[in-house]
Amino acid sequence: MTFDFQALPPLPSDRVKQIEAALVADLKPVRPIAPTSVYLAAFAGLFAAISIVGGTILGQYGWRALSELQKIAVFVPLAAITALLVFSITRQMIPAARHARSSALFSSGLFVVLLLIMTFIFRPAQESAFVRRGLVCFGTGMLFAIPAACLFALLLRRGAALSPLLTGASGGGLAGLVGLAVLEIHCGNLNVYHIVVWHVSVILVCVVAGFVFASVTFKRWTSNH
Amino acid sequence: MEESRALEQLMVRYQQADEIAARSLIEQLSPQLYRFFAAQYGNAEDASDMLQDAWLRIHRARHTYRPGEPLLPWIYAIARCVRVDSYRKRRRIAVREILVEVLPEPAVASDEPSDLPPFDELIAGLPASQREVLTMLKVNGLTLEEIARATSSSVGSVKQKAHRAYERLREVLQSPRAGKGALS
Repeated sequence: MTFDFQALPPLPSDRVKQIEAALVADLKPVRPIAPTSVYLAAFAGLFAAISIVGGTILGQYGWRALSELQKIAVFVPLAAITALLVFSITRQMIPAARHARSSALFSSGLFVVLLLIMTFIFRPAQESAFVRRGLVCFGTGMLFAIPAACLFALLLRRGAALSPLLTGASGGGLAGLVGLAVLEIHCGNLNVYHIVVWHVSVILVCVVAGFVFASVTFKRWTSNH
Repeated sequence: MEESRALEQLMVRYQQADEIAARSLIEQLSPQLYRFFAAQYGNAEDASDMLQDAWLRIHRARHTYRPGEPLLPWIYAIARCVRVDSYRKRRRIAVREILVEVLPEPAVASDEPSDLPPFDELIAGLPASQREVLTMLKVNGLTLEEIARATSSSVGSVKQKAHRAYERLREVLQSPRAGKGALS
């Protein structure tokens, strides 16, 4: 099958010269981005460091209250989601990197699985100050999620995310996971409603915030030229 | 293969601020990038704007190219992003503006007249994803693997889209009213 490519409009040669002139005028040596393994280690290291610091400062009441089975049921999927999200984010930073979207989608699927596991392993209980206690937990989670988000954003700035909304949501999700990890280590309240509403909402709020932040900054970025 | 390696070496030198390499890379890649944009819209003005935008983004993201990695998928991933953004921008403008007059594009004379309709018209009725894959395959000469990397999908998915596009084109070309607007 041959196509009539000749009918395509010709490339204006003066436009190519303009592009060359613009790019050459701004030509500076750049250092190629570090290998993916460096970013994997940086994201995972920050995640672990903030979670451990948070748990140490606030106290590990949640860790002590959880049974062995509950620890495995919560922290293994949490680690798996984190690993997948870190893997996805480090790939989203590089154009044409493989498995960037699929791993982000897979991690959101795993998050739903974690949510289901939580509803099975924790029991509902009556709480006198559901909202007040919940807001304290939510605030604590956000207290660690926000600095984590800022540090992740600094790392992400070095890359060139072609799907900024996905990257914003993924980065927000990862920061939210830091908040959730800190809360699971710290909070000794094992009421399923408390965990699902106030702990998990840290992730959801961070995902939305990351998405909105990315859409605003991306709009500003695209309107600059 | 040799050509790809030469391009990759030019890109590495471009990262090191080699002016000759930068110019050479722009001259070598611009025609095929331009065809990538023009083949899907057929509008010279939009295509050259997208080309300029693509090079600006390539320039800003040049540090994210890792030496030794295939260059073309990296370039086309950025070009694809530019095309999608441009499409969204034009759609936003289109809903705000009332078109009062449409000036036809001047026809470009062809040395060897083909019995087929122009490529952009032929693929105009295909879904955007199939149109994109077909353009990368047939206009830009990318391999299935390169397209898969540029579009963040699997080789199987690219093959499927190409196959569906071929099926659709075959149907159109075999039909008695093959040609302009036959797919739409």
